[in-house]
Amino acid sequence: MSTLEFRNISKIFPGVRALDGMSFTAHSGEVVALLGENGAGKSTLLKVLNGDYQADGGEYLLNGQPQKFKTPLEAIDAGISIIYQERQMVPYLSVAENIFMEALPKTSFGLVDNRVLNQEAQKIIDLFKLPIRASDKVRTLSVAHQQMVEIMKAYRRHPKVIAFDEPTASLSDTEIDILFDVIRQLKEQGLIILYVSHRMAEIFRITDQVVVFKDGKFVKQLATKDTNEKELIRLMVGRDLGDVFEGLDRNREIGDVILDVQHLTNPWITDVSFQLHRGEILGFAGLVGAGRTETMRAIFGADPIREGTILLEGKQVRFSSPKAAIAAGLGLVTEDRKDQGIFQVRSVMDNINVAAMKKVSKGIFLNAPMEHEAAVKAIQQLNIKTPDEMKKIGELSGGNQQKVIFARWLQASPKVLILDEPTKGIDVGAKAEIYQIACSLAKQGIGVIFISSELPEILGVCDRILVMHDGQITGELDPHKTNEEEILSYAMMETERRE
Amino acid sequence: MSESTKNKDNLLRRIMSSSNFGILIALIVMVIIFTILKPSYFSKNNILNILVSCSIVGLVAIGETFLMIAGQIDMSSGSISAFSGVFIALLLASGWPLPLALGLTLVVGACIGLANAFLVTKLEVSFFIATLATQSIFRGLAFIICGGKSIGVSHKVFLKIGTTRIFGISLPIIIFLILFTIFAVILMKTRFGRSIYMVGGNANAARLAGIQSKKTVTILFTISGVMAALGGAILAARMNSGQPSASEGLEFDAVTACVLGGVAMSGGIGDMSGAFIGLLIMQGFTNGLAVLNVQSFWQKVAKGLLLIAALTFDYLRKKQRERNALKQMEAARLKKN
Repeated sequence: MSTLEFRNISKIFPGVRALDGMSFTAHSGEVVALLGENGAGKSTLLKVLNGDYQADGGEYLLNGQPQKFKTPLEAIDAGISIIYQERQMVPYLSVAENIFMEALPKTSFGLVDNRVLNQEAQKIIDLFKLPIRASDKVRTLSVAHQQMVEIMKAYRRHPKVIAFDEPTASLSDTEIDILFDVIRQLKEQGLIILYVSHRMAEIFRITDQVVVFKDGKFVKQLATKDTNEKELIRLMVGRDLGDVFEGLDRNREIGDVILDVQHLTNPWITDVSFQLHRGEILGFAGLVGAGRTETMRAIFGADPIREGTILLEGKQVRFSSPKAAIAAGLGLVTEDRKDQGIFQVRSVMDNINVAAMKKVSKGIFLNAPMEHEAAVKAIQQLNIKTPDEMKKIGELSGGNQQKVIFARWLQASPKVLILDEPTKGIDVGAKAEIYQIACSLAKQGIGVIFISSELPEILGVCDRILVMHDGQITGELDPHKTNEEEILSYAMMETERRE
Repeated sequence: MSESTKNKDNLLRRIMSSSNFGILIALIVMVIIFTILKPSYFSKNNILNILVSCSIVGLVAIGETFLMIAGQIDMSSGSISAFSGVFIALLLASGWPLPLALGLTLVVGACIGLANAFLVTKLEVSFFIATLATQSIFRGLAFIICGGKSIGVSHKVFLKIGTTRIFGISLPIIIFLILFTIFAVILMKTRFGRSIYMVGGNANAARLAGIQSKKTVTILFTISGVMAALGGAILAARMNSGQPSASEGLEFDAVTACVLGGVAMSGGIGDMSGAFIGLLIMQGFTNGLAVLNVQSFWQKVAKGLLLIAALTFDYLRKKQRERNALKQMEAARLKKN
C-alpha cells in the first residue's frame, strides 16, 4: 500500500498566503476529495505536488520518501500526474501519438514505429473499455473522451498518484459516468487519487475521504460516508456566516430603475434582460462560465454587443469603451484582480486615483497635494491597512488590495457599480468588510451588481438574485424565500433538462 | 540642528535612497576610471563632445523611455533618422524653404511612427517584429530616395544648427535639453504621463479603468518617430549631408541607455532622470573607448556587453522588488499574529 503525506506545506505569494501549514495523508485505493471555497488553496497544493510551485515551507512524502521537484517533468518521472480541466493535448495528432507523446516507439532506423505505437495505445484504450481507436485524431473526439486520452497519457507513465482538478467542469452527465468508471478502475489498481471539485454530488458519488481546506489551512479529514453536505459546507465556510450577514447595515430604501438592460446578446450571452434600481444590491449567481462576467463586460463597453439596448437613467446608451462607460457613471471591480485590477508596481495612491485622475488635476497637470489628500482620505474611509499611500499595492494583502480597488471606484463617483466576485481569494475578515462596503454604497443610492459563485454571500448580501446558466438568465429569486439548493437548480437548469 | 542642515540632510538621504543613486555612482566610477587611463577624458572639450553625441541619441531615448514605460520598444529609430536626414537634404537641395522642409520631415517621422502603431495596435503584431520590419523598410528607402549616395547640404541657415554655440554649448545639446525637460514634465506631471505608467504596468487593468491603452501607445510611437526624424535632421546639419547609412544602431544605444537608467524592460517603471544618467553612461562609455583608441569592432562588442550588464541590473532590480513585496507581507502577517 502506498501513501502520500503532506507535512506542514506552506506557500506564500505577494498579496496572499495560499497555503499555511497544510498536513494530511492519502492512501492508495482511495479517492480523496480536496474541498474548499475558491481560493482555499486546493489548486496551489496540486501545483506544489507536481513541482510547478516550490513550497516555501514543509515537505511531502511519497511512500515515506520526501519529494522535491524543480519542474513538473521531474514529478511526472516520479509518478505524479495531474489532469487539469483544460485539456493539454495536440488536437491534430492521433490518440496514440498523444498518449505516447514523449515516448514514441522507434524502429531500428530511428523513425516512429506506427504499428507498435497503435498496438500499445490500443491495449491501454481496451483496458479502460473505451469506444475509440488509437488512430483517431484527438480533435474528432468528444470532450469526455479527450479527457480520457489525457488520463491514459498519465496512466501510460505508470503513475503512483493521479490528481484531478475539476475534471467535470465541461462534461455532461453521461460523460461524467464514463469518467467515474475510469476513476474507479484506477482506484482498484491501487493508485492514490486526489479529486478537486466544487460539486457536492460528485464528492459523495466518487470519493472515499474528504479533506476540507479553508484559507490555505487544513480544517478536517473525514470519511465521505460518515459526513453530509451540511457538515462539509459548515467546515468549508468555517464559521456561521449568518452572523456576518445579520450584522450588515443595509439600505432599506430601494429607488427607481437606474439601469435597464434589454435583450442583450453577443457571442457569449443570449437575450439577457434585467433592471437594476438605485440603492439595490442585485446578485448574479451561476456556475463559472455561466456568462455573468461576459454580461457585465458587454454593458461596460469592454466587449462588443450584437443586439439589445441599455438604458442608463432612462437614456439609451451603448459604450464603445470602458472609458465611455466610466464617464457615464459605471464602475467595474473585476474578478481577476491581478490581471485586470491592480497595477502591481504602482503605489496605493496611483491605484486609487487612476479612474478619476481629472479630480486630482488642475488643467492637464496632476496636482500632487490633491492626489495625496484623495488617497489618504480613501484609505481612512475604507480602513485600508497600509503604512502610507506611497506603498506599492503589490505589497498589500489580497483583502486590502481589493479595498484599494473599491476606493478607486468611489473616487470615480459611480451611479452603478459592478462587483465581479469581489471576495475571491481574500480572507474571511476582509470579506465581511467588503460586504459592508457594498451595503454602504447601496445606502448612498448607487445601484450595485454583485456577482458571486459563493451562494451564502449571494443569499446574505443581495436584495434580489438573478441566476444565469449558459449565457442566459434562468431565474429570478428573492433571497428571503429561497435557498442554496434552489439557486443551484436554476444554475444547472440546462443540465437537468438534458437528462 | 538648524532647519537648513536638516533640509540638507533630508535631501542627501532622498538622493541616496532614490533608485537612481546606484547608477549615479556607476557613472562617477566610470568617469574616474577613464580619466585615470586617459586624463584628457575629463577635459572640457571632451565633455562637450560627449554631450553632443548625447544629443541625437538623447532625442531618440526620450521616445524610447516613453515607449518602454508603456511596455513597448521602437527598433526603427535609426532607420527613421537616416531616412529623415536624406529626406531633408533632398528637400533643401531642391530649393524648399527650411521651415517647410523641416516641418515635412517631422510629419514624415510622425507618419512612420503611426505606421508602427498601426501594426502594433490594429494588427496586434509584437512591437519588436513590427518595428524590425519598418526598420528594414526605411533603411532601404533611405538608400533608394538618394540613389545610394549621400546628399550634400549647402543651406546656410540649416548648417548653422550644427555649428551655432550659445555660451560655448552647441545648439543640438540645447535643443535636446529643452525637449528633454519638456517631456520629463509631461511624464511626471500630466495625466497623460501617468497613463503611460498605467498602460505599461497592466494594459488590461488600464483599459478597464478608463485609459485608452491603444491610443496611448499610438501617441507614443508617433512621438518616437518625430524624435528620430528630428535627430536625423540635426545629424544631417552636423555632417553637412544626408547619409543613408547614418545612425546605424541608434535605437540600440537609446534602449541601452534607458535600461541602464532603470527603465524596466517589463514596463511600468522608470523615469527621465534615470534615463538621462543612463544616456551619460552609454555615451561616456562609447566616447571613452574611442579616446582609448579601442578598435571600432571591439567597441561594438563592448557595447553589447554593456547592454547585457544593463539587463542583468534590470533583472536584479526586479528580483529585489519581488523580495521586498514578500518581506512586507511576512512583516504584516507577524504583526497580525
